[in-house]
Amino acid sequence: MHVVAEMVASVHSFEAAIGDQVSPGDTLLILESMKMEIPVLAEHVGVVSEFAVAIGDVVNEGDLLVILL
Amino acid sequence: MTTATEETQLDPRSPLVRLAKFFDNGEFVTITPIDDSGVLSAVGTARGVHCVAFCTDPTVQGGAMGSVGCRAIVTAYDRALADSAPIVGIWHSGGARLREGVASLDGVGRTFLSMTQASGKVPQISIVLGPAAGGAAYGPALTDIVVLGPAGRIFVTGPEVVRSVTGEDVDMDRLGGPEPHGRRSGVVHITTDSEDDAIETGIKLVKLLGHQGSLDLNSVDDRDLGALLPESSRRAYDVHPLVEAFVDLDSFVELHTKWSPNIVVGLGRLGGRTVGVVANNPLRLGGCLDSSSAEKASRFVRMCDAFGVPLVVLVDVPGYLPGLGQEWEGVVRRGAKLLHAFAECVTPRVTVVTRKAYGGAFVAMNSSSLGATKVIAWPNAEVAVMGSVAAIRILHRRRLADVPEDSREQVELELAAEHEVISGGIKRAVDLGVVDCVVDPKLTRRAVAEVLLETPGARGAHGNIPL
Repeated sequence: MHVVAEMVASVHSFEAAIGDQVSPGDTLLILESMKMEIPVLAEHVGVVSEFAVAIGDVVNEGDLLVILL
Repeated sequence: MTTATEETQLDPRSPLVRLAKFFDNGEFVTITPIDDSGVLSAVGTARGVHCVAFCTDPTVQGGAMGSVGCRAIVTAYDRALADSAPIVGIWHSGGARLREGVASLDGVGRTFLSMTQASGKVPQISIVLGPAAGGAAYGPALTDIVVLGPAGRIFVTGPEVVRSVTGEDVDMDRLGGPEPHGRRSGVVHITTDSEDDAIETGIKLVKLLGHQGSLDLNSVDDRDLGALLPESSRRAYDVHPLVEAFVDLDSFVELHTKWSPNIVVGLGRLGGRTVGVVANNPLRLGGCLDSSSAEKASRFVRMCDAFGVPLVVLVDVPGYLPGLGQEWEGVVRRGAKLLHAFAECVTPRVTVVTRKAYGGAFVAMNSSSLGATKVIAWPNAEVAVMGSVAAIRILHRRRLADVPEDSREQVELELAAEHEVISGGIKRAVDLGVVDCVVDPKLTRRAVAEVLLETPGARGAHGNIPL
């Protein structure tokens, strides 16, 4: 399952770690945009397999953030 | 009077069965003949509310609409207007009857005329239980609220025609199922998990719009709504718990849940009276307004205004979403719809600024300049052209450039605090009259209810074009 960015933002912090089991509603990472810290939540059950971004990266709408397996 | 006992041997898709599920105790009076026209119309009550319903008949030619069936829909509309009653369409139809040729097209067009003429006068709810193609797609689309059952599929042209004309290989689900219409197109307001749930949802909406009730201040208990905000003013949060806590317990029915989720709209009750709620949702896109969320909210505002449903607008908005995509999608044209919708709205409408309201988005979210009945703010709310840090970065650009990098953040914070005293801050907004009063979050429900009680009700004299 690919989790992508909803809007242009910079990567603020990670709230989950690789290997974590997550459920819908769990926070994966936090993006910063429009002076707001916006959590990116898991929509499905899965295991965090890969972060495609690093803290401080600027992402565009549709860019891959996290892969859940 | 037709009763549920008669139709035990009927096809479960028969209008007699579906109308029996819709009306109280399965009892209704038919107002058109029970025949093979493909449509049956009836009157009765749904949870005590007098209303009219028509139902297409998929057991005859796949529910296709001929001229006689279309007349049955027009008859239902005439009756709804004469009775000032909500009207519900239960849809499962392949569209116009091919074998009738242009006569069926003429009939379908006449149903569209009836729907449009009734728009804004009586609430129109559509419940789509099976495929609704062509004319049967545009019928529901012209109404105020569209509810989709799990087998409901809405499209202009079916998979076979798409394949033969464009070569594109798609199925009914992808063309017009819950995912495309619930999330992408905005055609459907509510998706449901079962046919019974779809019908039940339709009944709930008839009750909310058809029997709006009167506000009883004694039943408006105080709730600490402020506790539902995160500690950090920069942190985004899901606004749903706040909306649900604002309205009476378990009364909220959200529309367009997945489409443009950065704004939340829906009907609920406050002290027993139906209200419409519009709320920014910071969890999605930071709660920014964008072209589709502005359009979603404007249609909802106009629907509430047409039926005299008071509006409560919960504001926490950082601005309009910037960028090329938005400009090209028409954020100016579509955003203007929200300005227009609020500015023309005559039903009582109260704004509550919970955290922040910046720039053009502050104006659009039912500001006092657009004629809000009252604008209330919570004590820590900020109303400004932009956030104070962003503002001082522009106002003090040169001075900040000379500050060494390691102490810049500190200087920015000091300048921001200073700036807030001069230009921002809720007190200044109250002094200017753009905010009427500051209210404790715990007393917000009561404060809004009191405004609604002392403001005479009114409804806009306009239709509800599906914006």
